[in-house]
Amino acid sequence: MAVRPVYTEIDHTADVGIELTAPSLTAALETAAAAMFDMMCRLDLVEGGWRRTLTVEAREGDRENLLVRWLSELLFIHHTEHVLLSRFEVASVERERLVAVVEGERIDPARHRVGLEIKAPTYHGLLIAETPDGWSVRVIFDT
Amino acid sequence: MRVPGRVYADDKLMEHIREERALDQVANVAHLPGIVGASLAMPDIHWGYGFPIGGVAATDPAKDGVVSPGGVGYDINCGVRLVASSMTRSEVEPRIRELVNALFHDVPCGVGSHGAIGKLARKDLDAVLQRGSTWAVERGFGRPGDLERTVEGGRLESADPSKVGERAVERGRDQVGTLGSGNHFMELDVVDEVYDESAAAAFGLRTEGVVLQIHSGSRGLGYQVCDDYLEIMQGAVSKYGIALPDRQLACAPVESREGHDYLAAMACAANYAWANRQVMMALAARSISGVMRKSQEELGLRLVYDVCHNIAKLERHEVGGRERLLCVHRKGATRAFPAGHRDVPAAYRGVGQPVLVPGDMGRCSYVCVGTETAMKDTFGSSCHGAGRLMSRRKARKAAHGRKLAEEMAARGVYVMATGKGTLAEEMPSAYKDVADVVGVTERAGIARRVARLRPLGVIKG
Repeated sequence: MAVRPVYTEIDHTADVGIELTAPSLTAALETAAAAMFDMMCRLDLVEGGWRRTLTVEAREGDRENLLVRWLSELLFIHHTEHVLLSRFEVASVERERLVAVVEGERIDPARHRVGLEIKAPTYHGLLIAETPDGWSVRVIFDT
Repeated sequence: MRVPGRVYADDKLMEHIREERALDQVANVAHLPGIVGASLAMPDIHWGYGFPIGGVAATDPAKDGVVSPGGVGYDINCGVRLVASSMTRSEVEPRIRELVNALFHDVPCGVGSHGAIGKLARKDLDAVLQRGSTWAVERGFGRPGDLERTVEGGRLESADPSKVGERAVERGRDQVGTLGSGNHFMELDVVDEVYDESAAAAFGLRTEGVVLQIHSGSRGLGYQVCDDYLEIMQGAVSKYGIALPDRQLACAPVESREGHDYLAAMACAANYAWANRQVMMALAARSISGVMRKSQEELGLRLVYDVCHNIAKLERHEVGGRERLLCVHRKGATRAFPAGHRDVPAAYRGVGQPVLVPGDMGRCSYVCVGTETAMKDTFGSSCHGAGRLMSRRKARKAAHGRKLAEEMAARGVYVMATGKGTLAEEMPSAYKDVADVVGVTERAGIARRVARLRPLGVIKG
């Protein structure tokens, strides 16, 4: 059973968004992913068992692009494999090339009430920045 | 800003528009290279991402005008289809639960819904992308006459499947004929008021008659096409030296490789959406026929019209006394061509193009008709719906502890949804009153009311 991430849901009229802080870039990317899936289905209802290692490449020097590509990749897996992901381990981020291990399980309608379809993360209002206390992230999704 | 912004609203609608950042977005769109006239917002404008929802922008390809995937949105060719019938309210009301349950069972809906007609082989999917509604009709979903009652005949000829990425193809293979979730719906309504007898007669609508509305789009395939091309456009922006206030507006000149490729891929997604709604209509017609124990002919089921409200199209418009070929982006806006226009189907050319404006699930929807004023002032565009008033989170909070399905039943509307959350997020008070939106639309002259529809049974994804 995964632990629900800590994040704030943004009040966007038509869509949904998340805001969060994290101690490091890798933690920020992991928490953003967990928050996105938690909005679709509470992560404490999602078991593990389904695992995949993946690599995401973005434009060099463009962290916003990396964040969007990472979340898009996870959504693609969710939609095509019909899985909910609940654990995210970003092993490395070098020059906007990310390697991660993600874990979750196939959607079981008896246990998982997937209440939100996220079409994509958008660049609108997007933020991924280092602050004196760590990292700040904001993403607005099209739903 | 290269051009001014123009928002269609009255004081009541403006109050809400000012509260959010939708006006900033109207201003941002005015920065697009080659934009003509004004950055427009229809009366149902609300805060989107990049473009506002309800935004209309026309660019001139001959003057380095751009095409922006964000000006179309992720759900390419999201749209509405209206089906008329010879059934009356008194026949349908007693069987509404049975009808809604059957439709809910026969048309896959909800998050990630799939499997309406099985997983398509790549060559079949390519045919969907190339042929749109025609593909569906050739396979027995609906009738050839449906094609002329669909914008563009349900098929954009500029579609080129080789411009659609593998990921989009993968997402599209098992979703033809599925509703999806969020604000997508299928609804049985009764025509409860007619404002324009001759237009209503031309559209086949009469008071107390029952109609079916379907609101859906290009599903995962369209979302992926948008996502893929936004990525490509991020590169194009620096390649062509375009300065933008919001990355989500990323674009390329229409007359560039990136511009051509996007429009060819977007056309594929648009065709997919038309095929999707065509298949869903046929599945729904079979379902209704089964419950009513009458053939589709006996029930008089026939397509009134199918409009898209998320699209970019090359259209001819008169600007400064001269006809120009423009790339018109409609992001949550409906084409609203007037009587006599060559692109209006022959059957409706005397009255104008039907404009379908769905409201929330509790109040009403409107059938309107396009006007000359829309042609002159808004590149032939009008509103597309009620527009949200509350965020989904606020709506869930406001709905907490309420029995929405029972409240709806008390209003005479039987609702089925895959999730309780959807009902809360889509509850009537989460939306503006579509009557206000249509009122402003009519006063501005950019569409005219023909009939009002009141929901009897609703399916939400």
